[in-house]
Amino acid sequence: MAFITLLGVFALGINSPTVELTETGFSIQLEAFESLLVFGSILLYLILLAIFSVKVKQYNKQNPHQKISMLAIRPPEYLEADEGMTYITRRAVQKVYTFYSWALPALATIVIIFPLPRLVVIYAILGLAFGQYWIYYTEIRKHFKGEEE
Amino acid sequence: MLKNRVKEMRARHSLTQSDLGKQVDVTRQTIAFIEKGEFSPSITLALKLAKALQVDVNELFWLEGDGELEK
Repeated sequence: MAFITLLGVFALGINSPTVELTETGFSIQLEAFESLLVFGSILLYLILLAIFSVKVKQYNKQNPHQKISMLAIRPPEYLEADEGMTYITRRAVQKVYTFYSWALPALATIVIIFPLPRLVVIYAILGLAFGQYWIYYTEIRKHFKGEEE
Repeated sequence: MLKNRVKEMRARHSLTQSDLGKQVDVTRQTIAFIEKGEFSPSITLALKLAKALQVDVNELFWLEGDGELEK
């Protein structure tokens, strides 16, 4: 979710650059505040990526039989340690799929009907991504409530 | 719906959910899901649980409304 928020800040910063064609190519000029947003979000993104990488390494050390790959196509949040975990992951993924099955057509319809600025469309897509993680997280969390007996 | 008495049998053997999970090679959460009736285990896991708790699988799991087996 932090990555999505940073992408939103990055999109805000890069939304209205001044592009100039030169003899050798082109140059992109950003205002001071926009530059701060763009480079700040890139820097924060790299810091978060480094923290995530360290956490994944720690997890892999503690769970050598269930390693998470940073480069895997499958999302690392899938819980598939055993059949119970696979079951709740399937439940959560079904809910996310249901969400997308109406949210994507609804967004596409809105974008077709209304002439929305590019930034609004990007934010709407990031909003869907945020919704996806929120649904997945709350569903998984619901099953993990309760202390050990 | 599948009913079970895993929690009762586990308590009888003084096992925690983690202990039982380790014996049948699943996580503590999966044992909790089964006990709460949120998840019906596979036949393989049901048999492993019955073996770990030293009971017949029919004593551990039964179908709701099955008058003969419902205790």
